[in-house]
Amino acid sequence: MFPNARRDIAFPIVGSIVLFLVLFGGGLLYQTILGNGSAERLVTTMLIDAIIVIGIQIYIGNTGILSFGHIGFGAIAGYVFAVYAISPEEKLKRIPTAPFGLTDTQVSPTVAILIAVAVTVVFAVIVGIGLARSGAQSGSVAATVITLALLFVTHEVAKSWPELTGGNRGGISFGIGESLKGRLPILGLLFAAMLVARLYGQSRSGKLAVAAREDNLAARAMGVNPLVQQMVALLLSVVVVSGGSSLRVWQIGSILPDRFFFDYAMLTLVMLIVGGRNSVTGAVLGVAVMTAARELARRLGQDGFEVFGIGLDGAPLDWVFRENLNSVVLGLAMVAFMIWRPTGILEDWEFDQWLYKTVGRGDEVEPERLTELDSVSETAFVASGINVSFGGFKALTDAGITANGGEIVGIIGPNGAGKTTFVNVITGMVEPQSGVFSIDEENLSGKASFDLSRSGLVRTFQNLRLFGALTVRENIEVASLVASEHRAGRAVRDVDSLMLEAGLWDHRDRRARELDYGNSRRLELARAAAMAPSFMLLDEPTSGMSDSESITMIEQVRHMAATVGAGVIVIDHDLGFITGISDRIYVFDQGEVIADGTPEEVQANPYVQAAYLGSAAIT
Amino acid sequence: MAELLQNLIDGLGRGSIYALLALGVAVVFGIMHLLNFAHGELITIPGYLTYWAFNNGWSWWTVVPLIIVSAVISSLLIERVAFSRVRGAKDFTMLLTSFGVHFIVSAGFLLYIGAAVKPYPRPGWFADTISVGSLNIEVFDLVVIGVTAVVLAATTWLLQRTMFGLALRAAAADFDTARLMGVNSDSVIRGAFALSGLLAGIAGVFWIMREGQVTPTAGINPMLQGVLAALIGGLGSLRGAVLGGLVLGLAEVLLRSWLPVGIQNLTTGFVFVMIALLFIFRPGGLLSVPQVERV
Repeated sequence: MFPNARRDIAFPIVGSIVLFLVLFGGGLLYQTILGNGSAERLVTTMLIDAIIVIGIQIYIGNTGILSFGHIGFGAIAGYVFAVYAISPEEKLKRIPTAPFGLTDTQVSPTVAILIAVAVTVVFAVIVGIGLARSGAQSGSVAATVITLALLFVTHEVAKSWPELTGGNRGGISFGIGESLKGRLPILGLLFAAMLVARLYGQSRSGKLAVAAREDNLAARAMGVNPLVQQMVALLLSVVVVSGGSSLRVWQIGSILPDRFFFDYAMLTLVMLIVGGRNSVTGAVLGVAVMTAARELARRLGQDGFEVFGIGLDGAPLDWVFRENLNSVVLGLAMVAFMIWRPTGILEDWEFDQWLYKTVGRGDEVEPERLTELDSVSETAFVASGINVSFGGFKALTDAGITANGGEIVGIIGPNGAGKTTFVNVITGMVEPQSGVFSIDEENLSGKASFDLSRSGLVRTFQNLRLFGALTVRENIEVASLVASEHRAGRAVRDVDSLMLEAGLWDHRDRRARELDYGNSRRLELARAAAMAPSFMLLDEPTSGMSDSESITMIEQVRHMAATVGAGVIVIDHDLGFITGISDRIYVFDQGEVIADGTPEEVQANPYVQAAYLGSAAIT
Repeated sequence: MAELLQNLIDGLGRGSIYALLALGVAVVFGIMHLLNFAHGELITIPGYLTYWAFNNGWSWWTVVPLIIVSAVISSLLIERVAFSRVRGAKDFTMLLTSFGVHFIVSAGFLLYIGAAVKPYPRPGWFADTISVGSLNIEVFDLVVIGVTAVVLAATTWLLQRTMFGLALRAAAADFDTARLMGVNSDSVIRGAFALSGLLAGIAGVFWIMREGQVTPTAGINPMLQGVLAALIGGLGSLRGAVLGGLVLGLAEVLLRSWLPVGIQNLTTGFVFVMIALLFIFRPGGLLSVPQVERV
């Protein structure tokens, strides 16, 4: 679950404690200085908002999917909580005909929160399945609209089902004596929320979800099923949000449809965005900053021109300092941050990880070098009889290759020869009209891309797909996490040693998107090797490289493959590279395999010379 | 039978407005991959102008062009001030930018005009009906359907037969290639926003007439219907957007007439649930546009 106990458990716990103390301490300080009831209420509201925003962060931050629906989940939880927690006398006044005999039911607030969370989670599962079906991924528009629809449905139902909800006007309110007194439940849940959010972020599921957020396709190629991780993130975040929402209802003492609608969705989103949606520290910072900004705006609007005793008199500002100024501030903050700093103040800076790197990790010693494996396991990749046509155009005719464990097999051919289509078939992106491919007789045709890599066929990408916001180490760690679960029988090598072998040790803490081209290529190779593959499929690994870089790449590919005992299937149009690296070569031309054999045999073949070097070579 | 026919006409009338809104959403989405949550503001802003105009003695004859022109100008202005700065940004960023714009506009009206409902008179013929046999057809529905048909025909002509339409379609298919082929990206994006605003303005005329009042949050419903209709049809498909709008309008009207009396209030909820089911079984919408990710 957690690759490194110190980094992923101990420090997040310490970090959560500090974060909690800073937020709560800051709030206490503020209310002590002002010393009035409204300051106290403001701080309480801020603490509850923090719970809900942290809950939303678990989903949006880790998956990159924008959700308005969490406030809809909050509405469900809020109503369930209210209906269970308030006294039957109060219910007789407000909702005397509640269905399911709810009018006479009463449970303690704590039990009501648990019921609210449980009911909401059921809804979350249903919505989560819908999101998965819509192919939700980072930035996915359809997913966002589904969540928006959820927000509207809950609002609509709350308005038009007065028997249960008290409808639009009255709502349901508590007897005075039952409102939330003391902050203990809020503080407890807030700390728990921080802890859950941070531990999830460091957990296996959290890291895989973030990998998919950064690059869905690459994550799937590394054996990650993003939909599963998104569901985990959704359920956890809904638990936190519905707990927080119940407290919100408890504290206010009543619930109305509009309390959990557009305005609150906007408020919580702005808080999350301003601080930095990819980090829990950012979410907490955003809550503090926006609470302060809104309070300031509210005072400016209400008191005319006085802030904390300082008079800002002057008629010229009349047109700005008006009532409702704080809602404009929200919108302006949202657009301003989107334009100038879409990742928020902190981007994905996380306090406990910074702490770990500065004081917790100590000096890192260079890991041990890896030895190349002596014995190569008997394994074979076979693709045969593959036919693909697009409309009337036959892209592949009866194409097939065989590759054995430890062997490097090259595929070469001019543009339009069908190389890319062939790669797309054996990576599961194009469905062939006929033909099969397998590793050791395990049929792989028709499998999802994450199943292919779990079965041992791991690919790299022609146009480099790294997890840009993750560090070099984290990139490899993601693959290693998947490998330790799905590739247990194979050579799952140490993450640090792999970095050393790939020449990336000195760059281990840098983000992948900051790497230069050569290092990025090496990282992609190391990441694929970390999957402990039976076969690595390298798609044009030298594209964009100079001749000398291509030659160094030959050694690196050989070495990494031998380190994990993998066979290599490499596609390239660079004749020098392919003949230099391959044990055997398949030549594709016009969708057919026209020749195969050792580099020397292939080079001597007249058809190859004709196809590859032009017909002049024959005459 | 008569009731069904009546509902169909009613649904088509509603659906036509949605179709115009959805088409505007789809035009912008196709070109810059921006799902415009601020589209409804192209009705809120003209809505307040309508209120202002009637207080200053205007009539519907002059208000109708005011609505259309102000919607186009608002659309261009919003593009200039906000969306032009996030061109090419991640989808997440663009989604929230448009959401933020929606919020600023509605909060601005709240700030300067207040939350109170601002009424204005509907046109005199609004409630007129024509009786055909046992049918009572609302003149308003007929006008909406007729105007929408003409507007859609004109839009089709614009997209298929003019240089601007060609540039727009090319840019929607592949923005970078279109630019390399000499399509001016600024003018094609501005053109798309102008067209989107024009369509919203025409839809806005009917929407504003039907509502008879305006509030700061008046844009939420048209935005939601437009966005949902575009999604039902299949995002990126212009024909899909029109189809989605009509389907949404028909679904609303037919559901309302079929649901038992007690739960008619929940029509909107049921429509949403049906949309959710549609996404589950047909994630790309009715006319899905194949999206192939390049590797």
